[in-house]
Amino acid sequence: PATTTATFVAVCILVDSRCISSSADLVSGLRQHHSINVHVCSLDGSYFVLSNRMAAERHSQSELAGMQNRKRLVERVNSLQGLFERVCFIVEKDSTKPGEVGRPFQRTRYFDSTLASLVQVGVRLLWSDGVRDSARLLADLAQLEQRKGQAITVPLEVRGHHRQQALQFYLALPGVGYVHALHMCHNFISIAQFITSSVEAIQKGGMMSCNRAEDIYRCIRYSCDSFLLNTSTAKKKR
Amino acid sequence: MESKAQTLLNAAPPYGHIIALEKWRDSAILENIKGAGVKVVFEKEMGVVDFFLPNRSCVLYISEGDIVAGNSYKRKLVRFRHANSSRVQELVVVERTRLSEQYFSSLQKFVVFDLGLTLLPVSGQTESSQLISQMVHSQGRDNPFRRRSVARLYEPQLLLLLQQIPGVGGVKASSLLHSFSSLQELCSARLPQLEPLVGSAAAQHIHSFLHNPLV
Repeated sequence: PATTTATFVAVCILVDSRCISSSADLVSGLRQHHSINVHVCSLDGSYFVLSNRMAAERHSQSELAGMQNRKRLVERVNSLQGLFERVCFIVEKDSTKPGEVGRPFQRTRYFDSTLASLVQVGVRLLWSDGVRDSARLLADLAQLEQRKGQAITVPLEVRGHHRQQALQFYLALPGVGYVHALHMCHNFISIAQFITSSVEAIQKGGMMSCNRAEDIYRCIRYSCDSFLLNTSTAKKKR
Repeated sequence: MESKAQTLLNAAPPYGHIIALEKWRDSAILENIKGAGVKVVFEKEMGVVDFFLPNRSCVLYISEGDIVAGNSYKRKLVRFRHANSSRVQELVVVERTRLSEQYFSSLQKFVVFDLGLTLLPVSGQTESSQLISQMVHSQGRDNPFRRRSVARLYEPQLLLLLQQIPGVGGVKASSLLHSFSSLQELCSARLPQLEPLVGSAAAQHIHSFLHNPLV
């Protein structure tokens, strides 16, 4: 459903609680200079949720240029692409501490091949000079998504013990991110109602893509194999 | 003109090759690309595209001079955006130098936000040739970020999911799934069916967790 483009509605961005310590300046910049309603919650990585379908993560240039970060980066891209239709990387110039002489960034072949691979899988790249620039980019992206009717408008408060537990339950479903789970908490009368829903009802109730809803529908009706149940050690989901 | 570009794209350059606009023939950028083992084919007319790369991507190159000189590159960008079909990956390589730096932020906004294209900054022709050759070479390699097909075996995930229900741990989750096999069947179970499996207290918890109203 398209939201009105009224500019007085503060745009909402969700941030992971880890961002509060690692990106304190950024978060306060978003609040003070861009009038963004920043809501802190517990996500599965330190990233920003900008709309129902878009997330952004900050990476420094040297992080993308370091071969030793490859495994972690692959995990981050896979997990974000599993939860969001649109994934943005904000590539930030490395910050220098006061008094320190900044070394110019050495652009390696490895850096370029990483960029090529990221672009190929559809990760959107944005280039930032530093914290203030990143805050502006995040605010602009969230506002753009608002104009496209994708803003986070679901109530962010989850009151009561039972609803909190339901939120955690929804989050443990495949491909369900925090915003989907919030929508589901507010749109399904009970968990039983969700479990007996059609693909269309799941799609509508979770404000999600059809593919995502189909995947969840399959999971609900999936008949477990007792041999596989015995061999499945409870591995971490993400 | 656009249709010419279209036919060129349909005859996309094979792996290890690029098609370049004639005007780049003697440039440093192409010398370096060739030096990196990429074969170059020249064309006189390619619409607004500067380079076609394998695997359906094309590059529009915006030099420092274009940016400093003013606005004509904007029209070029718009034509670039409209000339190519959505199946093509459109890349805009931009020279971000000390001279063009002050325009970069608004250029990025225009290219990425307004036009929805991919922007890749380079410091000059040397960096851009390294970038383009890496893009060509990476087509032949396995992309590490490409998602492996998602497993369709949900047993581990369902075991974890059930443990989100208060009072249910690993052992109870496993015994519930052994008896009911799917989440849907568990949901339609009545209290007397749950009690012998997990005890009356947990059965009560599970039943009310699933059926109590949330809204």
